[in-house]
Amino acid sequence: MKPFLRKIILFTLPFVVLAWPVDILLSNILRKSNAYPGELEVMNAIYEKKAACQLAVYGSSRAWVQIDPDILEDSLQLTAYNFGMDGHNFWLQYFRHSELVKYNGRPEVIVLSVDVFSLEKRKDLYKPEQFLPWMLWNDDIRKFTCSYKGFNTADYYIPLIRYAGRTGALNDCIKTVFKGNSKTPYRHNGFAAFDREWNDDLAKAMKSASHYTVRLDSSSIALMKRFILECSQNKTELIFICTPQYAAGQEYISNRTEVMNLFRDMALENNIPFLDYSADELCNHQELFYNSNHLNRKGSAIFSSKLAHDLKAVLAE
Amino acid sequence: MLFNSIDFAVFLPVVFLLYWFATGHNLKVQNALIVVASYFFYGWWDWRFLSLILFSTVVDYTAALIIHKENNPLKRKLLLFISLAVNLGFLGFFKYYQFFIDNFIAVFKMFGHRFEAGSLSIILPVGISFYTFQTLSYTIDVYRRKLEPTRDFISFSAFVSFFPQLVAGPIERATNLLPQFYSKRSFDFTKAVDGMRQILWGLFKKMVIADNCAGFASDIFNNSYDANGSTLLFGAVFFAFQIYGDFSGYSDIAIGTSRLFGFELMRNFNFPYFSRDIAEFWRRWHISLSTWFRDYLYIPLGGSRGNKFSQIRNTMIIFIVSGFWHGANWTFIAWGALNALYFLPSLLSGKNRSNLDTVASGRTLPNLKELLAMLSTFALTVLAWIFFRASDLTHAFDYLSGIFSSTLFSSPDITEKTQAIATAVFILFLIIMEWRGRETQYALANFQSTHSRWQRHVFYYVIILLIFWYGGKEQEFIYFQF
Repeated sequence: MKPFLRKIILFTLPFVVLAWPVDILLSNILRKSNAYPGELEVMNAIYEKKAACQLAVYGSSRAWVQIDPDILEDSLQLTAYNFGMDGHNFWLQYFRHSELVKYNGRPEVIVLSVDVFSLEKRKDLYKPEQFLPWMLWNDDIRKFTCSYKGFNTADYYIPLIRYAGRTGALNDCIKTVFKGNSKTPYRHNGFAAFDREWNDDLAKAMKSASHYTVRLDSSSIALMKRFILECSQNKTELIFICTPQYAAGQEYISNRTEVMNLFRDMALENNIPFLDYSADELCNHQELFYNSNHLNRKGSAIFSSKLAHDLKAVLAE
Repeated sequence: MLFNSIDFAVFLPVVFLLYWFATGHNLKVQNALIVVASYFFYGWWDWRFLSLILFSTVVDYTAALIIHKENNPLKRKLLLFISLAVNLGFLGFFKYYQFFIDNFIAVFKMFGHRFEAGSLSIILPVGISFYTFQTLSYTIDVYRRKLEPTRDFISFSAFVSFFPQLVAGPIERATNLLPQFYSKRSFDFTKAVDGMRQILWGLFKKMVIADNCAGFASDIFNNSYDANGSTLLFGAVFFAFQIYGDFSGYSDIAIGTSRLFGFELMRNFNFPYFSRDIAEFWRRWHISLSTWFRDYLYIPLGGSRGNKFSQIRNTMIIFIVSGFWHGANWTFIAWGALNALYFLPSLLSGKNRSNLDTVASGRTLPNLKELLAMLSTFALTVLAWIFFRASDLTHAFDYLSGIFSSTLFSSPDITEKTQAIATAVFILFLIIMEWRGRETQYALANFQSTHSRWQRHVFYYVIILLIFWYGGKEQEFIYFQF
């Protein structure tokens, strides 16, 4: 028995010894990658304390591909950064907010992009790789991601375990090592616009189901209420916006009115300005969108200017 | 608890150390520990269904003792019937209830009658088909007076719930496994090292081969209506390697784990994709189930004795029942029936036992005839797997007609091409390793004698690196659902 145990211990010893340094190495390399798409850049900016701003834009991809912080900055004379998070609802948008506040201080104005999916919590953790470089012993990441199907308890505490089977992330590390960092960042101040043409996402969705019903998540609703209170207590000006959505896409959501009314009620109760572009003229121009939820470069430039103009009026009040 | 999880990576060493160090090598304590560990292992998934295993254990333990004592043939038969009814009743309820209700309603509807039946949300207990068949074999063997019933309830409980093979086999016979719980076990260094090697190979098959193939197979099967013929063919081939890597990988881990505790389980796979005909394939695929059906269904039905009609009937029955065992869906029945159709020509022409040896035994490469035979057998099994994987019969037939369309010769439309190429390279590596080891128990069985220590260690580290880099994240085993 003893020779067997000795053999096992000796065989596994290199893993135990190398786990921590290899973890640090992989995490450092992955941080430099501009994958997932640019999410790591935003997190880097936050953790390196380079994301301090006076006006912060929060939301999902409908924020980061549609709201150009440079346009807001020029018009409002406030430093701006877009913290929009691809594929995630308010639950993880709030996590990003809490990390921003912790490392960069509180913004004076928060523009929160709300939409029908803001309070729907998906089961799987979308693009979990974006958390890999920071999650070991980061209890905030654990708190906000453990309710999703994505990581195990061991992933948060044992070095290297979380990288097992993350072929994409490991390949990104290799690419970064051999090809170097991409000189052009994916996003600028958290924003990226796309020269894309209208695709068949909506047609495909309509083909697979006649409509989509949003399922509201009570924990996300509670978190949003807490966030509203937090903003009010800290004298942070909070503004709700609903960015344009292509008209046919709006009709596809069966309970859209009900969900949007929830935001309206929250805004009314808490005296939050709500700029709703659901009925804006932009919503009828398919050529300004690349799918029903996202404006293309041209659309986002038009919309950002419009938003800057409207925000100016709101902030002047 | 999944073999490919961190939970099991903690569980196994803890149980191993307790088993060899904390029990004082006392057989009863070791068996009791196995029972506790096995119940913990199963309860980790869903503790509520532990009561089912316990109930089956109590029923079969008691039934076997009474059957053995009883001399009245009628009473013996009645007791056997009760045991079968309880076990198959559970299996029928949890696995087949909804299927029969749905089909019952469908038949009534066909004749213009409307019939309403409440739908129950029944959760299928993991491994119910496996442990049910294992306990059934015990009671039937006692009934046939092939086996003395045990009076040792702990040993019997350990036999029913032995964690390495509890949820997905191999389906052990009481004649093989139960006596191992009575005899003193001593730690065998060579067996333990070999067990670890088999576990490593099983993890490679599951996590690198099966889980990577799974991504492509699922993607193609789920979007088969839009895919061209060559893509569909790739999907079916990926699924063939997925199911092989998944299930034989599980069996390797189960057998290797058992060896760490001093147990020898029966072999479940014998390089089935190197078979030269369908009969050989079925002697090499899921051996524990095939032999179970042979011994407890096929032979009692008359086997291959009797006239042509009874031979055909018995073959169709065993394959269809075997298909139905896999799941309550017509696709599994069709899969079984198709395999029966593949098998019948060789049975009727008396050639079903013509390939009993290992292909190209003693040679490095097969000859052209052997190669063509293996490829054609593999092609037939791939076509049959389409029924196994499809969501329903319409899907299966559409998938098949999609393959045999003019688009078969167009280039396959596979997303993530780099990953697909990497997976194909792993499959090739698997084939080479399995071919080299095809005359042994598993691909790496003779590794100790044919490679130096350094070569072996480098190989193991490479396998571990591949598992780390390419292994899927804790995906369930396909056979858990059966």
